[in-house]
Amino acid sequence: MTRRRALRAATAVAAITVVATGCSTRAEDAGGGGGGGAAAGDVATDVGVEGETINLGVLTDLTGVFAALGNDITNGNRLFWQDNQVCDTYDVNLNVQDTGYVPQNGVQLYSAMQDSVLAMQQTIGSPINTALAPEYEADNIVNFPSAWSETLTLIPGTGVLGATYDVEIANGYDYLFDQGLLAEGDTVGHIYFEGEYGANGLEGSQAVAEARGLELIEAQITPQEQDMSAIVSQFAAAGVNAIVLTVAPGQTASVAVAAQAQGLDVPILGSNPVFAPGLLEGPAAEKLKEDLYVAGPIAPWDQFPELLEQYQAEFPGATPSLGAVFGYGMGEVMKQVLDTACENGDLTREGVLAAFNELENVDTGGLIVPIGGFEEGQSPSLQSYIARPADVPGGLTIAAEPFEGELASDLASEAD
Amino acid sequence: MTQFLSLLVNGISLGTIYALIALGFVVIFKASEVVNFAHGSLLLLGAYVIAVTSDALGFLGAVLVGVAVTAVAAVLVERLVINRLRGAPVISLAIVTIGVDIIILTELVRRLGSDILNVPHPWAGESIRFAGVGISLNRGVAMVVAAVLIGLFFLAFKYSNWGVAMRASAEDGETAALMGIKQGQVSALAWVVAGVLAAVAALFLVGSPTPGVSPTVYAVALAAFPAAILGGLDSTGGALVGGLLIGIAETLATGYQDEMLFLGRGFGTVVPYIVMLVILLVRPSGLFGTRELTRV
Repeated sequence: MTRRRALRAATAVAAITVVATGCSTRAEDAGGGGGGGAAAGDVATDVGVEGETINLGVLTDLTGVFAALGNDITNGNRLFWQDNQVCDTYDVNLNVQDTGYVPQNGVQLYSAMQDSVLAMQQTIGSPINTALAPEYEADNIVNFPSAWSETLTLIPGTGVLGATYDVEIANGYDYLFDQGLLAEGDTVGHIYFEGEYGANGLEGSQAVAEARGLELIEAQITPQEQDMSAIVSQFAAAGVNAIVLTVAPGQTASVAVAAQAQGLDVPILGSNPVFAPGLLEGPAAEKLKEDLYVAGPIAPWDQFPELLEQYQAEFPGATPSLGAVFGYGMGEVMKQVLDTACENGDLTREGVLAAFNELENVDTGGLIVPIGGFEEGQSPSLQSYIARPADVPGGLTIAAEPFEGELASDLASEAD
Repeated sequence: MTQFLSLLVNGISLGTIYALIALGFVVIFKASEVVNFAHGSLLLLGAYVIAVTSDALGFLGAVLVGVAVTAVAAVLVERLVINRLRGAPVISLAIVTIGVDIIILTELVRRLGSDILNVPHPWAGESIRFAGVGISLNRGVAMVVAAVLIGLFFLAFKYSNWGVAMRASAEDGETAALMGIKQGQVSALAWVVAGVLAAVAALFLVGSPTPGVSPTVYAVALAAFPAAILGGLDSTGGALVGGLLIGIAETLATGYQDEMLFLGRGFGTVVPYIVMLVILLVRPSGLFGTRELTRV
């Protein structure tokens, strides 16, 4: 009897689990804009182009740890393709799939869309991009990741949109030096995530420390660690003049509050993923507004009031984070690639890849920092914006227009 | 010295929160003989409910609702799953709780996304400073509340009917049942208590110096696991000592990571498990756990 009961319960649990995980993957389509012009009969096509519709894949995270970011970037992608066409002819249809930030899901979802998409508008997350790299390469896929690790620049066809994390952090240091917030010979504490993202950011710090004679205290954490008090105590005891972060927003908040509690009043510099608008509603808000500087490839919302209006009308209730600006900018770069391919008369995957490789000096009208071009192993951009937290939509306001730091070009070509 | 004191105070405050969580593990284990792996997601549930209801109900109302919802969720797990499987091997029960945990956690993570939900603690980001040693007011309040709750718990455990019934059931279930103790009730009440403790721990875990409610709060409950085990899984006093020990060890290891570089970076997270291993090697039933005697 009990065994039967146990079996019944186990079956019920299994069934619920299936239902629960089942609803975390869903397909959504984003429609294209109005009707196109004449069919470009002399443009060669193969996979992913049906009549006057181009299918692009989106592997994003709508339910996992980066769900908020994934939603925002995808919203940006959608908004862009609602209003734009390729070659004034083709509408773009996005095949949006949710990986939940699990590489295994990403691989499966890609194999399901493999034969129907021309290129990948977005693939979120370094681990998923890395997992899919061999397939993307084999299929001649042009892809835009929403991560800035140096290793991603080594994947052919994958276009990192902005400076890699090491260049970004080094640019951030330059800003601190320029503003007199940091001086040669100072001590800096750098908290970084284990893994690619953190390690790449740390490389930037190490390069600056060597060039400018800084004393660097390194503290490695896992993304699960949320309480930064102990590390901040250590930094306070060492008398740091600045704190540098390559972490997630949660740790940023904790650093700010702990620094305040311990009376450590120094600038905090972070790479672009350290900030989320939600931080300004928490207890760390005031401290962050005083001390945080964010180096990143994306323009703050206050630079694009019209786009903001459009975005809020289209996605009422969504917090306008930088992810949406980035998603919109990604669409712009993809459009430039596809337009070039179309002009070359070759909208096959190979043609698109060729167009991607020949792209130079990509200008997105300031949405994303200027991109020099996509060369394997090179940071695609040497420039970064500096932004500061403020009570504006998106939570960040601009502190410095895109600029190239002193060490940027040295770091950019160092990828191995 | 300031650094040491600062780390010590922070470690103790973290430890008291661990102790609340660890007590939950112990209470449930004593009453239902289940190692409850769903404790982490119950804790996250409490934090989530407090955060989403605080706009409408205000801080105090939200806390009460959060604690109530967590307690009800805990008792539902007990009634709907654990109680129906009574008599099943301990291992099966533990694995069932892992299943429950995954279900609750998946839903919560989906709802949370990667944004940070903030709980409007009245003490917000205030801090207390004394002779160079700083601690967030949130952690200060946590220490006081945890001390009161743990004190009340020990009194209830020792003197209330429920406490006596529970100790009797834990000692010898069959005899206790023959004496008229309703084990179902004892067990249900234990889950309620564990739920309440988890929600209170959650309340302080999502305040400064840790950021608001995010899926990673769940991971903290895992760090309380070694605390419960090294204290002895069936010892309430052990949970308290274990919690403090783990909190202090973890904080010191993180704060002095530069002095321990030969162990590699990020050593702090590993410390709870190392402390647990070392103690279990010396005392297999934990510091205060009942030794199992087997006649051969």
